[in-house]
Amino acid sequence: MFDIAPDHAIGLYAGLLALPLALIAIRLRPARHSVPGTVLAASVLLAMSGATHLALISTHVTEPLTSWLFLANGTGYIALSFAFTWRWWRLASASLLIATLIGYVVWIAIGLDSPDQVALATKLLELTALGLVLVPVRGEHVTHRSWRWVSLGVAVPLLTLVATSTIWIVDLARPDAQHSHAGAVLQATNDVATPQQVAAAAQLYSVTKAAILPYEDWHKALAAGYKPGQDLGGSSHWMNQHNVDAGYVMDPNHPQGLVYANSKHGPVLLGAMFQMKRIGQFGPDPGGPLTAWHQHENICVTPIGFEFSLMTPFATCPLGAIDISASPMLHVWIVDNPKGGPFAVDIDSDVVKSIDRA
Amino acid sequence: MIAPNVSAVSSSRPEAAFVLLLMQSLLWAIAGISAMPFALAGEVFMVGLGLASLLLALATSLLAICILWRRNRARRWAMRLEIACLVGSLVLLVVPIGANHGPVSLMTNIALPIALIALLRKPREAFT
Repeated sequence: MFDIAPDHAIGLYAGLLALPLALIAIRLRPARHSVPGTVLAASVLLAMSGATHLALISTHVTEPLTSWLFLANGTGYIALSFAFTWRWWRLASASLLIATLIGYVVWIAIGLDSPDQVALATKLLELTALGLVLVPVRGEHVTHRSWRWVSLGVAVPLLTLVATSTIWIVDLARPDAQHSHAGAVLQATNDVATPQQVAAAAQLYSVTKAAILPYEDWHKALAAGYKPGQDLGGSSHWMNQHNVDAGYVMDPNHPQGLVYANSKHGPVLLGAMFQMKRIGQFGPDPGGPLTAWHQHENICVTPIGFEFSLMTPFATCPLGAIDISASPMLHVWIVDNPKGGPFAVDIDSDVVKSIDRA
Repeated sequence: MIAPNVSAVSSSRPEAAFVLLLMQSLLWAIAGISAMPFALAGEVFMVGLGLASLLLALATSLLAICILWRRNRARRWAMRLEIACLVGSLVLLVVPIGANHGPVSLMTNIALPIALIALLRKPREAFT
């Protein structure tokens, strides 16, 4: 959702290129003086969206239905961007925009495409264009003014809400291969671990487990400089700022963090966490796909109580929270983690619950 | 719905600003709603941030309506709001904390406030 699909990049370039061209085309038309500025603005947005759709045909030639829909959408938008003096322009534009937005929501809901930045940017343009098409302008001679207000007040919020929810649900329910869970991007690796990688992963596991076992006594962790963080689903990361600042790279004797289950009997050691210093700099990966690092991206963090949520598809965070990414990390779970194994991004929540019950 | 036909109309900048503010308020409302599941999961401060975001969305909608009525005071408040948003977004753009710099983020957090500032900057005579 926050990436640009390689076959969609051309759509972004075409949309950006269409912006100056549409502005020039409007300036060359004397008819521009006979319509409100909102209509001209909508025409520009329609041209940008149309150019995006038309450009995408070239990378979707193997998908006939998709290509035809792109062609219909693209030509429709471009034609409407020129025809802003047409009697039925508003009706036609609003109908095409609404149909396209609903069509896209259905398209991704049934799994025919995955949302990406180009698609989201285009939908944002279309939602804005819809608002500009529908809004009545003071002094404009228009019938059905109340219908226009009702359409604007209902269609734009409803479509924005439905599109956002669908995009988000689809993205969370069907993450791509590089996204193991919400907000985490996995390091690119080979698909199947080689025997050497399996051995290296086992070695990393045993060395790390031996090195952190003394911290089963959480008092020792505290004495060594690990400070408990916020409870997240029954467990907490205890970070050691000295180890973070020192920049140790996957050093079992100096892990940047420890993870404890917050049981009713006190903290129970679950594993270690290695973390790199810089965003985007993945660490060494001796176990290939078994020890792939992950980086949390597009998290909305609030300094108040250091809590987090996820950035919305249209790139907003709750008021008071800022969007950040955390540098790559690798967990080594020393307790049995049946759902993901010893290097999984997350610890199985059932494991944490069973420790709490024990 | 018939063809656009204007005669001696006042500027349509307030209407365009209304639409953009409406979009902005919807995006903030969604951000506010999105904080609630995390609040339910135990992140108590997210309740406050979610509610604050929803209130901001409501205030922005009211500003949008007052701008539609061409109230100069609403125009000034909206300008302040957009300048604050733009400054905050530009800081996030520069500071190396891994903030999202994708096209959608740039549209929502940079282009939208700039467009609103441009629309509300003039003509002042459109407002009373």
